Amino acid sequence: MKNLFKPEMIKKLIAVLTFLLVVKLLWFVIQVTLLTAQDIDQVQDQSSKALYYRVKLTPKNTVAPQEIIKPAVTRIRRSIKEITLLAIYNASDISVITVEYKHKSKVLGTGDTINGFTLEGAGNNFAMFSKDNKNYKVLLDKNSKSNSSIRPRKKHKIPSKILPKVKKVLGEVTNEGAAKIIDRSLLDHYANNMDDIYKNIGISEIKEGNDVNGFKVNFVRKDSPFSQLGIRRGDVIKAVNGQEINSYNAAFGVYKNIKNIDNLSLVIIRGKEEMELEYEIN
Amino acid sequence: MQMVKKVTLIFFASWLALLLFMPKAELYYSLEKILAKKDIKLNEKSIEEGLFSLNIKEITVYVKGIPLANIEKLNFFTLFFYSSLTIENLISDETLHTKIPALVKEAHVNHQFFSPMSLSLDANGSFGEIVGDVDLLKRTLYIDFVDTKDIGMIQPSLTKGIKTNGEEGWIYEKSF
Repeated sequence: MKNLFKPEMIKKLIAVLTFLLVVKLLWFVIQVTLLTAQDIDQVQDQSSKALYYRVKLTPKNTVAPQEIIKPAVTRIRRSIKEITLLAIYNASDISVITVEYKHKSKVLGTGDTINGFTLEGAGNNFAMFSKDNKNYKVLLDKNSKSNSSIRPRKKHKIPSKILPKVKKVLGEVTNEGAAKIIDRSLLDHYANNMDDIYKNIGISEIKEGNDVNGFKVNFVRKDSPFSQLGIRRGDVIKAVNGQEINSYNAAFGVYKNIKNIDNLSLVIIRGKEEMELEYEIN
Repeated sequence: MQMVKKVTLIFFASWLALLLFMPKAELYYSLEKILAKKDIKLNEKSIEEGLFSLNIKEITVYVKGIPLANIEKLNFFTLFFYSSLTIENLISDETLHTKIPALVKEAHVNHQFFSPMSLSLDANGSFGEIVGDVDLLKRTLYIDFVDTKDIGMIQPSLTKGIKTNGEEGWIYEKSF
């Protein structure tokens, strides 16, 4: 006890306490000048509620767009006579062919569709089409139209050298009178392959201060499903299925639920005009 | 000898005092502030300061306002000459499963005073087991898949090559 109150010991204790105080002060100065004492949290988005909900009153079966598309299958034989392969151009990443269909020549690239047949690729003297998981081969005949034909192949395998390098997107957007129908497999594809969206469409947010006020379309790849939807460069997407797109989270929420929707509506601003684009999904 | 003893004692006391009084939570908030400038925000349930560590529980990682990952527990530990970050149970959003693994059960990122410009890392989860390093000087990330499990989704991001142990296997390399 006597040792504890020795002047030397007290001196040492004071020195240690002073040292600790200096260190604490040092950290305090750093804290005040350089650090922040406030937690930065993401404010939960409470406002992202649908502006309205679409209710489909008609039974699902009555829309039956598949049934509308299906008759095309029965018309294959008529198409066989009508499609003539006139020319082929093969690049490393794409095949381009010229065909004659209903007395009109048309240029098709890999992935393009004519009369329900999708161009898969081309060899030196033939083009490969697919429809309903069947492959069809059209031979090139520059001299005679009558010799060109589309016929189903027994083997489904397409020579690997003519397969397009770009991943093929199944499904398409079809026009059925006034309504546009989106194939559900197309949505499923984009739901699972987010990167493929950005290859076909470029969008960026429009910011007003810290708030997002819609998403502007910077480009739409020609012949992509997005261009078939009628979306154009410069359009501003304001809402999807009644859900106002005023944050990345709202846009992402729509993307995450895209597999579960039965119809799609987009509210866009084109120029100064507000438009609503509506689609059915099957 | 007495002098050496005294200097060592002062050095040790300074090191200890600096560690003990370090405003760990405020350093974490400052890190959050830096990340927020890059549109990355971390919402956490609790922050606990330890003597040499900081424990953060139930974190949601937001990127541009989108909740993309949940982490059950984060632990920062530092002795200045050795620091480590431990991540437990990182579950990523299903939309990211083609980019990053669905579940990281445990991951460690370590930094040592004697190699200040590199970080070593190891992790295990749904993808198997990985070891790797980050070269801060060359700004590269290299990951070896030591044991692979479910890498089907992230496989397009990986390359098959010769690993550091000389065997052929999956590796991931990236510059930043």
